[in-house]
Amino acid sequence: MTAISKEERTARQGSDKCFVPNIVLITLSLGLLMLLWSVDSVSIAPNRIVPGSGFMLWQALGLPGALLVSVLIAALAALALTPQKRFYSAQLIIIALLLLLMPFGLMVAGALLIEPDMPQARLGVSGGFWCLLFVMLLALVEVRLRLKLSRLWPALLLCFVAAVWWLCALSWLDHVALVQEFKARDAQFMRALQQHLVLVGVSVSLSVVLGLALALAMRRFSRLNRLGFALLNFVQTIPSLALFGLLLAPLAWLASQVPLLARLGVSGIGMAPALIALVAYSLLPMVRNTYTALDEVDEATLEAATAMGMRSAQRFWQVRLPLALPVLIEGVRITAVQAIGLATVAALIGAGGLGTFIFQGLGQAAMDMVLLGALPILVLALLVDASLGALAERLRPEGMQ
Amino acid sequence: MGTANVAVKSRAAPLQWRWPLVWASLLALCVLGMPHLEALFRLFEPDARQVVYTRASFATLLWRHLSVVAVAALAGIVFGVLAGIAVTRKRGRDFMPLVAQLASLGQTFPPVAVLALAVPAIGFGTWPIIMALLLYGLLPIVRNTLSGLLGVDAEVKTAARAMGMTPWQVLISVELPLAMPIILAGVRTSVTINIATAALGATVGASNLGDPIIAGIINNNTAYIVQGAVVIALLALTVDSLFDMLQQRLKTSRSAA
Repeated sequence: MTAISKEERTARQGSDKCFVPNIVLITLSLGLLMLLWSVDSVSIAPNRIVPGSGFMLWQALGLPGALLVSVLIAALAALALTPQKRFYSAQLIIIALLLLLMPFGLMVAGALLIEPDMPQARLGVSGGFWCLLFVMLLALVEVRLRLKLSRLWPALLLCFVAAVWWLCALSWLDHVALVQEFKARDAQFMRALQQHLVLVGVSVSLSVVLGLALALAMRRFSRLNRLGFALLNFVQTIPSLALFGLLLAPLAWLASQVPLLARLGVSGIGMAPALIALVAYSLLPMVRNTYTALDEVDEATLEAATAMGMRSAQRFWQVRLPLALPVLIEGVRITAVQAIGLATVAALIGAGGLGTFIFQGLGQAAMDMVLLGALPILVLALLVDASLGALAERLRPEGMQ
Repeated sequence: MGTANVAVKSRAAPLQWRWPLVWASLLALCVLGMPHLEALFRLFEPDARQVVYTRASFATLLWRHLSVVAVAALAGIVFGVLAGIAVTRKRGRDFMPLVAQLASLGQTFPPVAVLALAVPAIGFGTWPIIMALLLYGLLPIVRNTLSGLLGVDAEVKTAARAMGMTPWQVLISVELPLAMPIILAGVRTSVTINIATAALGATVGASNLGDPIIAGIINNNTAYIVQGAVVIALLALTVDSLFDMLQQRLKTSRSAA
C-alpha cells in the first residue's frame, strides 16, 4: 500500500522537480502547537490529597522557555514543507531534543512555580505534557517510515531518552508527584516489576513450548485440529477476570488435598492460578500463529529438500522451522504483549506485579500511584512489541520481505 | 464488475437463525432463571451464606454490559471506518502509514493500563471503560477497513468512474459493498474481544457483568464468579453467532450473484 503512494510521489517529484510537502508532520506539529498554548501543561498540588491547580506552558517554563519549545516545533513543521532525506534526519534530531528537554522543563517548572515554603507541594504532569510526548512519538513513527529505518533504531533512541529521564528523576525531579510516589515505595516497585516480568516470562515461555507441541500434534492428527481450536477459542470467551477467579477454589482444594503441591507453592491465591490462567490465554494466539507459520511454508521448497535427500527430521529443523520462524516470532510478540496486560489483572488474586499499584491506587483514589503502575506496563508492552517486531523483521529470509 | 450492483440487488438469502437462537435462549434462561438455580450453585459453595449474586439483577447487569460494548463498538465503527476511508482517498494517502501504525499501537496498550490512565483523566464510572474498549477494539476495524478498501480491484473502480459515477457514488455503491465482508469480520473480532474485556470495568466502578466476578474474588465465593463468567461467555457466543449469520448471508448473496 505504501508502494503506490511512493511511486506516485516519485512520479510527481520527477515531473515538476519539487518536493510534495509532508502534510502528516505539518498537521501534527501545528496541532501540537495549538494544544500546547491552550491546555494546562503541569499542575501544582499543595499535598498528596488536594487536587492541584493547572498551569499553562508559558507559566510553567516562563516565556523564553515556551518560545523555545514553540520554535522547535515550528521548525519541525517548516522542515516538512520541502521534505528531503537530510531534512528528515534534522527532524529526527529535533524530536530527540524535545524528548530529552522534557524532564528539564519539569525542573524549570518546579523552580518557577513551587514556593520554597511549600515542602509538601507536588508537581503533577497534565494534558499538554502528555500531548507533547504522544505527538513526538507519532512524529518519530512518521519520520522512521519516511527514512525507512528498522524499528530497532527508534526503540534504541527511546531507551536512551528513558535512561536520561530516569537519571533526572532520581537526582533532580523531587517535586514531581510521580517521582515522590516512586521514592516512597521504590523497593516495593522493584519487587512488583520483578514479579511482573517473572509472570510474563514464565507464562510466555511455557506457552511457546506447549504451543509448538500442540501445533505439531494438530498437524499430525487432523481430528485433533477442530477439537483443539474449539477448546482454545472457548477459553478466550471466558473473561480474564473470571478465569483468574475460577482457579482460586480448585487450586486451594488441590493444595489442601496434596501437601506436596502446597509445599511447592501452589495455593488458591498467588502465582499458581495466575500462571495457569496466563498460559491458558496465551495458547490460542501461540498455537494459531505456529500452526499457520508451519502450514504456510512453500510445498515446493519442502519437496526440493526431500529431493536433496533430507530426512524428515532434517527437513523440519533445517527447512520448515527456519522458514516459519518470522511468523512464529510474530505469534510470540502478540502473546507477550497480551500477557503483559493480563498479568496486571493477576494482581487482583494476589499474584503481585505492577497491577498491585493500579488497583491499590484506584482503591485509595491516589491517581499518581495508578500512574506508577500503568506507565511501566505501557512502556514494557511497547518495548516488547518493538523488539520482537524488529526480530521478526530481521529473521525474514531474503526474497520474502 | 457487476458484482457490486448485483450483490446489492440480489434476493437476500435466508438467514441461518439456528445458532443465534440457541445461544440467545440459553442466555435468556440463564439471566432470568439465575435465582432459581440456587441448588446448583450450592454445590460450588456449600458453606456460603448466599450463593446467587443479588446486589443487582442479572438482566440489569447484562443491559449495562451490552450498552457499554455497543457504544464502544459504534464509536469504533464510526472512527475506524471513517479513518480507513479517509486515508484511502487521494488526499489522505499520506496519513495511511501513520494510521496503520497508530491502530496497531492501540492494540499494544493493555486495556487495564488504558483504563487506569483514563480514570485520572475523566474520573470513575462508565466513560473510562468505554474509552479503553474503543481504543482496544479500533485496530481490527481499521486494519480490515484498510485491507478491504485496498483490495477493491482498481479496474472495477475505473469502470465505475467511466460509467459516470461520482467518486462519492463509487465509494458508497462499489467500494464499501465490496469491502463489507472484510470490514464485518473486523467488527466481529473487535466486539467479541470487547465483550470479555468490558468485565474489567467493574474494577473502576462501572457496574456490569464484571461485578459478580469481582464480588466473588473479594468474598472468595466461586459461585458468583461462575455466574458472571457463564453469562459473559453466553453473551459472547450469542453475539459471535449473530455476526457469523450476517457473514454467511453476505457470502451466499455474493456467490448467488
